[in-house]
Amino acid sequence: MDSCYPVKALAGHMGELLNKDINLLFVPMIYSLPSFLRGHVLDTLSCTRVMMSVENIKAGFLKERDEFKERGISFVSPFVPFGEPELLPKYFWESLKHVIPNLTFEEVVRAVREGFKDLESFEREIRSKSLEIIKWCVKDQKSAILILARPYHMDPGIGHEIDAEFQPYGYPVLWYNYLPLEDWLLNWLFGKEIEEGIIKSPFDISDVWISSYSSNTNEIIWAAKFSARFPWITGVIRLSSYECGMDQPTFTPVQKIVESSGTLYFKFGELDETKPAGSIKIRVETIVYYLEKYSQDIIQRKLKRLGPIPKELL
Amino acid sequence: MLLLGIDVGSTTCKYVLTDKEGNILDKAYERHNTKQAEKVLEFLLRLENKHGFKAGRDRVYITGSGGGFVGDLIGARFVQEVVAVATAVEKLHPDVRFVSEIGGEDMKTIFIKEKDGRKNKQVYMQNVCAGGTGTFIEKIGRKLGIDMDALSKMGYEGYTLYRVSSKCGIFAEADVNSLIKAGVSTEEIMASLFDAVVYQNLSQLTKGNIPLPKVLLLGGPNLFYRGLQEAWRVHLQRLWKERGVGDFSKEEMEELVIVPENSLYYASLGCVFTALEENDGIYKGYEKLLWWIEEGQYEQKLKEGKRGLVASVEELESFKRNYSYVVENKIIPKRVKEVIIGCDFGSTTAKAVCITPDKEIVFSCYSLSKGNPIEDAKEIFRQIKEYLQDGKVLALGITGYGKDLLKDILGADVGIVETVAHATAGLHFFPDADCICDVGGVDVKIMILRQGSVVDFRLNSQCSSGNGAFLQGVAERFNIPLWEIADKAFSAKAMPSFTMGCGVFLQSDIVNQQRKGWKAEEILAGLCHVLPFNVWIYAGNINNLAQVGKKFILQGGTHRNLAVVKAQIDFIKARIPDAEIYVHPYSGEAGAIGAALVALEHYQKHGRSSFRGFEAIEKLSYRSITSKDTICNWCPINCQRSFIDVYIGEGEGRPWSKVPLEPGWVRIIFNNACPKGLVEDERELKVIKEKMERVKNEFPNIADFVKKEAFKRSTGQKVP
Repeated sequence: MDSCYPVKALAGHMGELLNKDINLLFVPMIYSLPSFLRGHVLDTLSCTRVMMSVENIKAGFLKERDEFKERGISFVSPFVPFGEPELLPKYFWESLKHVIPNLTFEEVVRAVREGFKDLESFEREIRSKSLEIIKWCVKDQKSAILILARPYHMDPGIGHEIDAEFQPYGYPVLWYNYLPLEDWLLNWLFGKEIEEGIIKSPFDISDVWISSYSSNTNEIIWAAKFSARFPWITGVIRLSSYECGMDQPTFTPVQKIVESSGTLYFKFGELDETKPAGSIKIRVETIVYYLEKYSQDIIQRKLKRLGPIPKELL
Repeated sequence: MLLLGIDVGSTTCKYVLTDKEGNILDKAYERHNTKQAEKVLEFLLRLENKHGFKAGRDRVYITGSGGGFVGDLIGARFVQEVVAVATAVEKLHPDVRFVSEIGGEDMKTIFIKEKDGRKNKQVYMQNVCAGGTGTFIEKIGRKLGIDMDALSKMGYEGYTLYRVSSKCGIFAEADVNSLIKAGVSTEEIMASLFDAVVYQNLSQLTKGNIPLPKVLLLGGPNLFYRGLQEAWRVHLQRLWKERGVGDFSKEEMEELVIVPENSLYYASLGCVFTALEENDGIYKGYEKLLWWIEEGQYEQKLKEGKRGLVASVEELESFKRNYSYVVENKIIPKRVKEVIIGCDFGSTTAKAVCITPDKEIVFSCYSLSKGNPIEDAKEIFRQIKEYLQDGKVLALGITGYGKDLLKDILGADVGIVETVAHATAGLHFFPDADCICDVGGVDVKIMILRQGSVVDFRLNSQCSSGNGAFLQGVAERFNIPLWEIADKAFSAKAMPSFTMGCGVFLQSDIVNQQRKGWKAEEILAGLCHVLPFNVWIYAGNINNLAQVGKKFILQGGTHRNLAVVKAQIDFIKARIPDAEIYVHPYSGEAGAIGAALVALEHYQKHGRSSFRGFEAIEKLSYRSITSKDTICNWCPINCQRSFIDVYIGEGEGRPWSKVPLEPGWVRIIFNNACPKGLVEDERELKVIKEKMERVKNEFPNIADFVKKEAFKRSTGQKVP
């Protein structure tokens, strides 16, 4: 099977870890993910390729000889329904009790609880940063860039730091998975459509995406809808790695959602099929030219479709 | 009874003749110069005379890329070539675990694994790109003027290695050119090339398997080039040590990586060994083969061929009525009082146009690059001044190579990226266009437009297939001048079909078609026909053209060739029947026109220009420095760059540089082979990075917060 680049990168990562001084390699097979869209969508599953990559890559290290055994490393890869916190302790406990002596179930329960607490405060913190950026945009009548991608594109090796290229040109960069979720903001953007019965809640994506099973895909689609409505996002950058089967069916819908509002949409596809090194600079310069040229018009056009700007933004 | 194994390869034919026990009686390895069938006939006649090889009694098995059709004519049984090689290897070397066979136009690897006493073979092969094959080595050797004999004796170990692209044969040639320019010795270049070939084989054809000892090297290149064998041993030695297979000495490597006797004949031997096991392949004599050579292949030529680029005189005439402006169109100078100038600084030419505030194009000029951008600029501004006399320059826009630096020096109002320049020019003439396809001499650009913006584009950077220089090169070989290519191509009633893809293989395909009797004009027509395939599919990687849109603009020098335009239109219409296809009226000047249009926009907004004026440009004083301090150290090629320092009275200077620059001066770097060389060295990179960091804090990126927060070390407090 020819896998996507991020999965290949995981193979390298594991290979590197094998040569470090470790005795336990913990690589969970993550089946589902926590998401703010849970309950509004059919499911929040992770990519099956990514989940299964753990087993595939492991097989690679056993193909010629047992690389784990040779180094005295225990390989633990529990099945993890990350989207259902209450199930987690059981799976962790089952996989870890044999390799960590004296570990109690109670300890695992506490660790999971603390972990989720940290995860929540982390998310809150980052989303509040996004809100700060947005407020700055409103105050200065400037626009921001939104990145639609997968979480791994934040890794400079996988995302090629394309997002960072826009900062020197004066564009703050928002990411699809950390947009602010304040009620007043979402009501401003989606309220009318809820009233008209087009969607049930601000998090409802069934108007544009029916098979809403994949957690990241759902969040990409939702962020595309957000960007189409939010005036100060004037340019959307889509990143996609080579051979991403999850991204394939979303390309056209996402492009149409974003462009239907007049927002500019640019895609850096198949990132790793060829090294995009030479062309990134030209691409970024091209995009910046059009952002510069059209942003103010786009902001005004989008503002016209919405009610008065909420006081919290001013 | 005699057994004959024939291997009809892409550059050579081989045979092995044995008795019924498999003892070798005769063998040969000869180049066929694309005359595969003729060579096989020569072999058969020789064997009949010398060894009494007899139809109806003796048996013949055949393999190789050309084996199929020849085999049918002489009654031979066909064996797939990898299977043949594997059969021979298994029989002769039961202890071999990895085989590399490099041929003229292909390369193969075979992994042989043993599990529970059963052998399992994994085979990989590539034959679509010349990178890593024998043709590739030979081509470079010829270029360096090394004769075959000397080439075979050249070594690998002990030489300094340089990076040579192993990806595409034509790009490797470009790398080799810059190595020659840098004064690298031919020995070192060839050693680097052997390195590239082994690297290409290992990276493309192992697919996660580790080649294990023993290793067998087969095929012509592996046998003939001592350096290639050395490169294999060095690479495998390193690999085996890294992967814990074993730490072998140089002597041990000689034992573990072997080039066997008969290394050239393994596929033929495999045929014979297969024949020993079976009872098939009774030789039917050479008569049918002879018929095919004398008559059959010409009949086939007609059958295989396509009809020409145009079906009738009427079709050609109506096409020409619509598109002949492409050739005839010229910008006629017209005196006006005020102009906006647009310049396009390419790597080979600098072009300029003047437009009026009403967007009328009133002047154009160009200058062949002299390798010094300041002199090029002076030259075109002299021409503009001569035309404009006492007219006024309202604004200046520039695009192309070095636009960022020349912008300050010339006082341009805008320096725009080439995609925007081309798109602006295209949209000016054809609003709502969906796609611009620019085919120049050496590059292909495809720009996809939506909402008045370039939303996606392809620049051909991987491979040189599909550009105009190739077509021109072929025409030159046929002694057909550039301006006659189109008419010659149109005159062909039929044309051979070429496969799209690698330019190197296309060259050998041409020889092959010529041999079949295709004439120069027919071959040119065939090449024009295949060009759109190479442009859109092979170089542009656009498989679904309909997704791009309906309205196409063709531009760039190659589209001045009407035969190419016709092929493009047929190609596009076959996929999008209601497509609208236009050829840009000023194909070659599109970049400069776009720059002028953007400058005009700027002028309309700001009402002023920072243009320095003709006199100031004429008087620009500069100093050019070429020394060891200007050598580029980003990669081992070490390009000898030059710095041109220009005094413009403003700017920070470069106090940190090896060649310090006072404030008020700016520096242009040129003679670098790649964009990396535009940055002086680590010191400049530091300055750039610092500047970027400052701006980054001003315009934050959520990803930075995530990275900081997510990887923050916990304070180490214990979970309660």
